Amino acid sequence: MINVENVSKQYGSIQALENIDFQIEEGTCFGLVGPNGAGKSTLMKILSGILLDFEGDIQVNEWKVSKDRSKIKQQLGYIPQEICLEETLTAYDNLMLFGTLYGLKKKELHKRIDEVLEQIGLVHRAKNKVVTFSGGMKRRLNIGCALLHNPSIIIMDEPTVGIDPQSRNSIFSIIHQLKEAGSTIIYSSHYMEEVEQLCDSIGLIDKGELVEFGRMEALLDKYAKPSLFISGQDVEPEMLQNFGKVEKKGNGYLLNSDEPLLTLRDLVTYCDEHNLEPHRLELYHPRLEDIFFHLTGTQLRNA
Amino acid sequence: MWAIARTELKKTIQDKGLWFWTFVLPVVFIVAFVAIFSGDESTSYKEVVTQIIPGYTIMFAFFIMISMVIVFVKDRERGMVSRIASTPISIYQYFFGKWVPFIIIVLIQITVLFGFGVIIYDLPLGDPFALILLSLALAFIVTGWGMAMAVIVKTENMGIALTQILALGGALLGGLWMPVEFMPDIVRTLSQALPQYWALQGYKEIILSDGNVTDVWFHLLFLIFAGIAGMVLALLSYPRFLRQSRS
Repeated sequence: MINVENVSKQYGSIQALENIDFQIEEGTCFGLVGPNGAGKSTLMKILSGILLDFEGDIQVNEWKVSKDRSKIKQQLGYIPQEICLEETLTAYDNLMLFGTLYGLKKKELHKRIDEVLEQIGLVHRAKNKVVTFSGGMKRRLNIGCALLHNPSIIIMDEPTVGIDPQSRNSIFSIIHQLKEAGSTIIYSSHYMEEVEQLCDSIGLIDKGELVEFGRMEALLDKYAKPSLFISGQDVEPEMLQNFGKVEKKGNGYLLNSDEPLLTLRDLVTYCDEHNLEPHRLELYHPRLEDIFFHLTGTQLRNA
Repeated sequence: MWAIARTELKKTIQDKGLWFWTFVLPVVFIVAFVAIFSGDESTSYKEVVTQIIPGYTIMFAFFIMISMVIVFVKDRERGMVSRIASTPISIYQYFFGKWVPFIIIVLIQITVLFGFGVIIYDLPLGDPFALILLSLALAFIVTGWGMAMAVIVKTENMGIALTQILALGGALLGGLWMPVEFMPDIVRTLSQALPQYWALQGYKEIILSDGNVTDVWFHLLFLIFAGIAGMVLALLSYPRFLRQSRS
C-alpha cells in the first residue's frame, strides 16, 4: 500500500504540486495522467526518492519516506523517461552496474542478469555495446536495469516515448508479466490508450493539482456516459437539437441524451423518414481523454 | 560505490581525448621546453628539469578537471544523476565512486611524467615518501576542484573555459612556466594563494634541497585543505545539481 499524504512542492514562486493526496493498493497498476508540465514528473521524482525537499509525506507499507528512505528505495524500481544507460558499455555491463547499486552480490547478480535479459528479450545482444541498439532495445534495457533486484513497486515514467509499435507491445508484455507477478506499478503517461489498457486506477493531474482519482471503472461510470456520434454530408446540427444536446466532434457531432439507446432508435427512424444517409451513426463511449477534458477544459495532447 | 568507480574507469579509458591531454601533450611540452631552456648557461641542468618536469606535470594534472566536467554534465543531461539518486546508494558513495577513477588517472599521469623525466632527463626524485605524499595531495586537490567545477557549471563549455583559466592562469601566476623569482612582487604575493605554487615549491624542496615530509608539511596541508574545500563545495552544490538533472 502506498499512501501519498498532502504532498506539495514549490520551485521558487511556482507551485509544482499542491496537496496531492491518494492511495495505491498493493499489486495494482496506478496510472498518473496529465499534460506536459502538470506536475507528473515532479511527483514521480518524489515517489522514487529523488526529490527530497517537499511538504507532506509518503508511506510505503510500514515505512515513511521522511524516515526510511533507503529501505523504500530498496523496494523501488525506477524507470525514468530518459534512457539512462552507459552507451559505450555493453548491455551486460549496464545491468551489472545497476544490479550492484541495488546491493546484489556476485552469484545472485549474474543469475538475475540472465533472467532479466530473458525477460526483456535481449539475451542475444547481452555482450553488445548499447550504442549499437535500436531505440526500442534501449527502452527495454532501461526497464531491465530497474527489475534486477525484484522490486515490489515499479515506477515507470513515460516508458514508451518515441518507440515503434512492436517495441511498445513488447514493453506492454513485460508490464503484464510484472502485474501477474504481483508488483505494484505506478505508470505515468500522456498516452491515454496505454493507461486505459494497463491501469486499474488512475489519478488525473493538472496544474499541480490532483483533479480526480479512483478506480478506472468507477471513473468511467461516473463521467463517461455513452452518447451518440453521427456524421455525414446531410447531417446538420439544427436537426439534431430535438434529440439532445449537440456538440461538434471531429467531422461529426456528439449527441448527449439521458437515454442514448432510445435516442439511437429515434434517430434511425428520423433518418429513414427524411431520406438521410449518415456515414456513421454509433454509440460513442467517452475515453479517458474526454474525462480529462470534461474536468479541466484542457486537451491532453494540446496542453 | 565501487560499481560506479569501475564503470567510470571503463568508460574513461575508452576516451582517446583523455589519453592525449593526460600523457601525449605533457610529454610533448616537456621535451620542447627542456630542449629550449637546457641551453641556458646561467641555470643548471638539474634546475631546468626540476622546473619544467614537475611544472608541466602540475599544469596538465589540472586538465583532468575538463574530463570530470564532461562526465558530470553528461550524466546530468541524460538523467543518470537522477537515476542513480533513485537507488539506495548515498550521495557520498556516488561522489566517491565518481572521484576514484580520476584520482587514479592523475596518479598514473604523475608517475608516467616523472618516470619519463627520470629515464630521459635523469630527473632526481629526492625522498620517495615525501614525493608520494605531495603527489597524492596534488591529485587530491585537482580532483577535488574538478568535482566542484563539474557540479557547479551549467554547461560543458563553461566548465572547459573555467578549467583553462584555472589551469593556465594558475600555471602562469603559480610559477609553473617561469620561476616566481623572476616575477614582479605583486605576482609573487598572488602566487602564494595558488595551489600550483605550493605544489611546485614542494617538488623543488624535495628534489633540489633533499627535503622530506617535515620540510613540505605546509605545502601538503595547503593542497589538502584546498582539495577538501573543493569537495565540500561539490557536496553543498549537489542538491541543485540533482534538481537540474533530467529524469
